Amino acid sequence: MDKSASPETSLVQTKLAEDPVKIEIKDSKLAMVGMNIPQIDSFQKVTGTLEFVSDVVRPNMLVGKILRSDRPHARIIRIDTSKAKELPGVVAVVTGKDTPDIRFGPMIDDWYILAKDKVRFIGEEVAAVAAEDELTALKAISLIDVEYEDLPAVFDPLEAMKEEAPQINPDIREGNIAAHKHIEEGNVDAAFMESDYIFEDRFYSPRIYQGYLETNNCVAEVDAKGNITLWAAAHGIYAQKLLYAKALDVSSSKLKIIKPAVGGSFGAKFENDTHLVAIVLAMKTGRSVRIDHTREEDIMASNARVPMEMMIKLGFKKDGTLLAKKVRVVSNNGGRTHYCPAITSVACFRIDSLYRLKNVCADGYSVYTNTAPTGPMRGFGNAQMHFAMESLMDIAAEKMGIGPIELRRKNFVHPGDLTVHGWKIDSCGLAECIDQVERASKFSERRHLPANKSNHLRRGLGFACAIHATGNRAFFGPFDGSSAMVRIREDGTATLTHGEADLGQGQNTVFAQMLSEILGVEMDKIAVLDPDTDNIPFGLGSWASRGTLMGGNAVVAAAKDARQKLLDSGSHLLNIPATELTIRAGKVVSLTDAKVSVDIEDVVREYVYRNIGLPLIGNGSYIPETETPDERTYGNISPAYPFAAHVAEVEVDTDTGKIAIVHYWAADDVGKAINPLTLEGQMIGGVAQGMGWALTEQMIEIDGRFVNDNFLDYKMFGPCDMPDDVQVFFVESNDPNGPFGAKGASEIILNPIPATIANAVYNAIGVRIHDLPITPDKILRGLGKL
Amino acid sequence: MTTFTLHFWLNNQPESVEIPLTATLLDVLRDELHMTGTKRGCGIGECGACTVLLNGQAVNSCTVLALQAQGQKVETVEGLAKGEELSSLQQSFIEEHAVQCGFCTSGMLMSATGLLRQNPHPSEKEIRTAISGNLCRCTGYMPIIKAIEKESKR
Repeated sequence: MDKSASPETSLVQTKLAEDPVKIEIKDSKLAMVGMNIPQIDSFQKVTGTLEFVSDVVRPNMLVGKILRSDRPHARIIRIDTSKAKELPGVVAVVTGKDTPDIRFGPMIDDWYILAKDKVRFIGEEVAAVAAEDELTALKAISLIDVEYEDLPAVFDPLEAMKEEAPQINPDIREGNIAAHKHIEEGNVDAAFMESDYIFEDRFYSPRIYQGYLETNNCVAEVDAKGNITLWAAAHGIYAQKLLYAKALDVSSSKLKIIKPAVGGSFGAKFENDTHLVAIVLAMKTGRSVRIDHTREEDIMASNARVPMEMMIKLGFKKDGTLLAKKVRVVSNNGGRTHYCPAITSVACFRIDSLYRLKNVCADGYSVYTNTAPTGPMRGFGNAQMHFAMESLMDIAAEKMGIGPIELRRKNFVHPGDLTVHGWKIDSCGLAECIDQVERASKFSERRHLPANKSNHLRRGLGFACAIHATGNRAFFGPFDGSSAMVRIREDGTATLTHGEADLGQGQNTVFAQMLSEILGVEMDKIAVLDPDTDNIPFGLGSWASRGTLMGGNAVVAAAKDARQKLLDSGSHLLNIPATELTIRAGKVVSLTDAKVSVDIEDVVREYVYRNIGLPLIGNGSYIPETETPDERTYGNISPAYPFAAHVAEVEVDTDTGKIAIVHYWAADDVGKAINPLTLEGQMIGGVAQGMGWALTEQMIEIDGRFVNDNFLDYKMFGPCDMPDDVQVFFVESNDPNGPFGAKGASEIILNPIPATIANAVYNAIGVRIHDLPITPDKILRGLGKL
Repeated sequence: MTTFTLHFWLNNQPESVEIPLTATLLDVLRDELHMTGTKRGCGIGECGACTVLLNGQAVNSCTVLALQAQGQKVETVEGLAKGEELSSLQQSFIEEHAVQCGFCTSGMLMSATGLLRQNPHPSEKEIRTAISGNLCRCTGYMPIIKAIEKESKR
């Protein structure tokens, strides 16, 4: 989109630098923004009437099932589907031969819809069945006979990088390296020479399952003219549509994606091959096909959090000034590429802008292995690196004899800074976040209490801080903004469509609040429509913590456009200049005499009748002043950066190695809390996820097979695991680019948690844990008891 | 496929449905009766999204064979509200923001309903235990626990 072609948008942006509502609605303070509003679809959620992807039923629907490879690396010699085809109730059986000979992928073209000649990981899609019912589909899957010739397999990325390792993707690159990221700013070698202290260490973050409650299910349907409809979850339905159209070799206008309500994602529900298999089955049968992942299948096929080996080296001056940082990241990409290269890239450098670093160098390798592919999860690589960096900061602070908080205060960025990678820090509430958790936890007083040596229960306090982004221009250079459309109907109610995605976090509610704030239409008269690629304005979707800021600014712009139309129409009816009118509680009201008013519905009718039947629609878009990073990865990728500071208090049982989190304090700079109720919910939920990551969660893989692929053995935090005392605070730094000052809030909460807890464990017992999760056996080994 | 006719009480109404012998109670609710308020999260009794009350007792409907419900009383999330009037527990869930994506919500509500019927004034620990078979990845449980506590004090 050409910015110069859209003068109104830049005008909106200029106004947004101040408070848009204060400018226009001179007579009132914020009515909806900043209020505790339950999610707008809460009623449907508590009554079980909200339609999730899993609840979509189509006439004559078949059940699809996928035969997945049970070999980590093998050539496919022959696939015999004859027995499966003969089974009564089976409508279609498809293999790679039934799919286009096209390689595709969200980052690297190394996918086929169904495997063509070899399989690269356990779980790769080999064949699929559509049948009248689930049992028949399962039976048919078991009747497909695949003859494999096993190939040597490699599971550890460090092994896979070696010269003698088996090559997993034929056309790709030395050492199974799917992607290599190199970043360098300043002069790292010279800076290390100048350093008085140098610390270096290795850290590891394992594969983590995103753990949403609704598995990644879908329904596909194809009509007689070849028009495809897919009901599925998506973070951004447009990107998904473009990739799927390429994979299917159809024009993108032939494919429509509808996203009903989604039962959580946390990064997992981006592009997924299962959706394509469902479409292929629907094309083959001419009937609608539902594929539901079993939980075991979903764990294998969710593109779980990228496991990372992180070598990190930091150089400091005597006074604690951070001079240099060097990292080497080796990521397990899996057998084909989802988003691992982008995630690895983010891990390489995003945290650099947390501190006033000048000299940094990073190498990140995304390495093919014969394991399931890996992908996004809340924090997107940046979270993994926070564990390494914030652990090493803690180590450095102790060795240099500086308090951990003091060391951060000495080095963190400030509003107005231009960071080492060209990021513009317009707002930064980190100082306030630190003050908040330091005060609440009495960190400084309580951290040095002498341990009671006779007691096997030891307490400790740990601290870490964090940065994240709100959108990432690096992903899609041409347009990093958002657009929205609001329609006011003749009965005075409003509908909103936008290009982002509510995945359960409450995106729609926050947008409805902004709309209500500016339009003066009550919340219960606003409906946010389920996005489908035929009816929503273009948008990239809710990821990179971008939804509230990008989408919110677009909603604000659309609301203002609609508001102006209402005022103009109201002006006509009341015979009062539009500049002397406002909108309040569903009425266009005179600013000078509140008794002079007209109902919005009458105004809308006036508008519609005077505009030859055209609907009253407000359009809005937002184009952030971000920069596409150059070849050095230099450039301001995001309009705003959220920050966080956390403190954990743990109690470690030195007999059993068991860790209890006694208290947790989290302060996040979110710019502005549009909805404190839902924000607090998202933060506490993030704390629970972070604690699971730190202490209990890990997908255990043996020779490419996940052995704990269920919720009993893959241990997420349950109701009895949550500490009694979790306190979350938000700091409102009012970012000039955010709608009402808001920045992204979903990922920042997770980033510092594992390091905060690891640092607390160290403070309690003097054992430094380098490999997540922090399990009792690692504690006992650290104490020399195992 | 062998079928049988299941007669049972569903949300206090008599219900009869012809179903396969192998069907679970969850299959009957979702696939035969199209009552999709009860969710399928794992199918093997580990996540609690499919929790319903069987004779007042919270059970995972995915691990109950439908024929076990023959002649019994089954209650689901659809039975909690009276038309547009929510039960006070549902109301508490909304007020305390115990609902995020909503996929665990039905099961949580049924576990809590079962608890409060047997034990109208549970301690926080009893609440946690009662919902310990229900996983939630969004809320961190604290708002859910608060909502149930609130209801127990009404």
